Amino acid sequence: MPRKVAITAVAQTPYSAAHQELSLEELIFQTVNAVLAKAGVGIAAVDSIVISSSDQVDGRAISIMVTSGPVGAYGKDLLNAPSSGEHALALAYLRVASGMFDTSLVVGWNKCSEPDDMSNVQNLTADYIYHRDLGFNDTLALALQAGTYMTRYDVPEEAAAWVVAKNRKNGARNPLAHLRQPVRLEEVKEAPYVAWPLRRSFLPPDSDGVCALLIASEDKVPQLAPQGAAWIRGLGWATDTHWLGDRALDSMNSLALAARNAYRSAGLRRPFEELDVIEIHEPSAYHELMTYEALGLCDPGQARRLVEKEETALGGKLPVNPSGGALSANPYFATGLVRAAEAALQVMGQAGDHQVPGAGLSLASAVCGFAGQGGSVFILSNRPE
Amino acid sequence: MRRVAIVGVGQTKYQSRRDDCSYDELVFEAVNRAFEGVDLTIKDVQAMVFSLAPDSLSGLSNAERCCVGAIGAQDKPFMRVNTGGSTGISAVQVGFYHVASGAFDVVLVAGADRVGESGDAQTILNKMWDPYYERPLPLNAINMLALSAVRYMHKYGMTEEHMALVTVKDRRNAAKNPYAHIRKPATVEEVMASRVISWPIKLFDACPQSSGGCAIILCSEEWVRKVTARPAWIQGVGHHSETYFMGDRMGPKRINDHADAEAKGQAIRKAYRMAGIEDPRREIQVAELYAPFSNTEYHAIDAAGFFPKGESLKLMEKGFFNLDGEIPINPSGGVLCSNPIAVTAMVRVGEAALQVMGSAGERQVPGARKALATGNGGDHQFFGAVIVGSEKN
Repeated sequence: MPRKVAITAVAQTPYSAAHQELSLEELIFQTVNAVLAKAGVGIAAVDSIVISSSDQVDGRAISIMVTSGPVGAYGKDLLNAPSSGEHALALAYLRVASGMFDTSLVVGWNKCSEPDDMSNVQNLTADYIYHRDLGFNDTLALALQAGTYMTRYDVPEEAAAWVVAKNRKNGARNPLAHLRQPVRLEEVKEAPYVAWPLRRSFLPPDSDGVCALLIASEDKVPQLAPQGAAWIRGLGWATDTHWLGDRALDSMNSLALAARNAYRSAGLRRPFEELDVIEIHEPSAYHELMTYEALGLCDPGQARRLVEKEETALGGKLPVNPSGGALSANPYFATGLVRAAEAALQVMGQAGDHQVPGAGLSLASAVCGFAGQGGSVFILSNRPE
Repeated sequence: MRRVAIVGVGQTKYQSRRDDCSYDELVFEAVNRAFEGVDLTIKDVQAMVFSLAPDSLSGLSNAERCCVGAIGAQDKPFMRVNTGGSTGISAVQVGFYHVASGAFDVVLVAGADRVGESGDAQTILNKMWDPYYERPLPLNAINMLALSAVRYMHKYGMTEEHMALVTVKDRRNAAKNPYAHIRKPATVEEVMASRVISWPIKLFDACPQSSGGCAIILCSEEWVRKVTARPAWIQGVGHHSETYFMGDRMGPKRINDHADAEAKGQAIRKAYRMAGIEDPRREIQVAELYAPFSNTEYHAIDAAGFFPKGESLKLMEKGFFNLDGEIPINPSGGVLCSNPIAVTAMVRVGEAALQVMGSAGERQVPGARKALATGNGGDHQFFGAVIVGSEKN
């Protein structure tokens, strides 16, 4: 049996369109210092460091070379999971669970303001023989998926627009969110299409920001998080094929598999009833709806019913994205890790104005690659078992 | 903690170009070879780890996402590792944690690179440095380690002929390795006469730009006996990071010395500690040490702690590190003869595993029971070490 592992502290920068006053290294350094300060320890107390870098966004061939300094890796065991921020958390979990490490820092970041155009960065992940010249990027892949989903299940645009209004309303309560102005449903529905059926308002902003977590084995938790920790009760991650033509685009297959594994390890059978709060990585408003289904909160095609009853609003039966979600702050490569950080803050009772009262069991989901090729799910609890 | 063993190693032939196949097909070739002689199929594998260093070498960002089919990861847990040149050994360690944690029993680690098709690898590697101060110099992996060579000459008395001896030994070994990229033996005179790239590093002191793939299958103890008679047990792992700024390793206020590979030594000592190794010279029979330029094999041998620092020069002259010497170093021919960057450090682990499995063919070191493998990444900054053994520790 793996050792029990918990998230003991979280620190984030404010997310914004451009952190021009600080370099990426300085932003990372500040955030790492902040997470250590919250745990009341120095870098000497950290055994393992796992980070997740995107060379393309950072503009360096091996971006961890320079970022290893500000994360405190000199003289330490540093690993880098550049497939996505949430994989860094999964890897850090495996390291601590193995018994070889007692504590691990996990850090993810992006300064989306620095590349001239994020869609060009994304286009470089498209296969160079078949897809790149089409101008393929995240938005186009997400639009194909959202279009397939909403057509297959006759999902009204109203449902997606409601998700945007809900998340932006929540984001207004989160002092770290990039977009903190609530939007009215009408405004959301009037925004121009970027790629049908995705309107500008249905897509997240490109944000700058850093997210750092400290995780620890069970024997270190009382010292590092005397006020309570977020125990990792279950996790799962999975990948689908790269080729969209080979995939069922009306659902999020890898995320559903990740959820199934996470539920099994956490012993969850009825997630909608058992969970208190969820943080979803929604690369578009439609993807929050698709994620409800992948997580088994409702049957396929039935996410709109949850929306009609406003079950996932703050104050609803199962609040989703009280932080405002990716639609309110999107430091690209780190957005999935931010979901885990926010889900942890909820069960630690440290989510401030967007706290869901009495939250004891939370879930974070994350996606990476075109049209959610990879999916990850973490189940967090305020109790070790 | 659960014990973990390597049960399968797959390699492609390393060469300049592979125009006959695509990138993911190269991965697929290595993956298939790892299953040869192992009583496992891809269906038994529960999670996959992809080994891929800078995206820019292949011209495809997050190229791991295109290789899900090639590595058989569809619907399975899958993540990528990148620590620069040490990526391959880091990826094996990530696979190790997958199994040691108890979360998985059978894990496949694989990757490939097409350095030979990147145009000029050094132009790309220049982009790993700071855009304002370091890129315009222009720094690259060769002049970075030429600085180390000059310092090693000053500190320990290394000559260019000492460097040539490493190439001669590694080329002689590579001639026995069917996977090696450069298999043509060379003489000291030929090395000395080769073109200077960045003094004192000459063409024959430098690794080639290789294309090729490597795959390694890891199993938990419960699975090992069912699938192979000749496992290579992972007895120790270690990883250690040096400062990024080379200036911190030079001058009177330096915190480490750029001549040496101090952080590599730390990584190796961590692995020794875990493996219970106290006297490496007596307990290790063979080592695959990541050394992309001939001079770096000396500080790698120093870092392994077989002998006091700097003695490796004299011992190399005496043939201590030859295939039939006291401690053979790089029987595969090493990085000097094949460098498919994304998997180069994984090849070190794979070759060390083949040695303790007794499956290394003509390059086999007789009676190898414990072997050391290392990897270097970043600007001589990230170091990994793995000890494999024919027995459990």
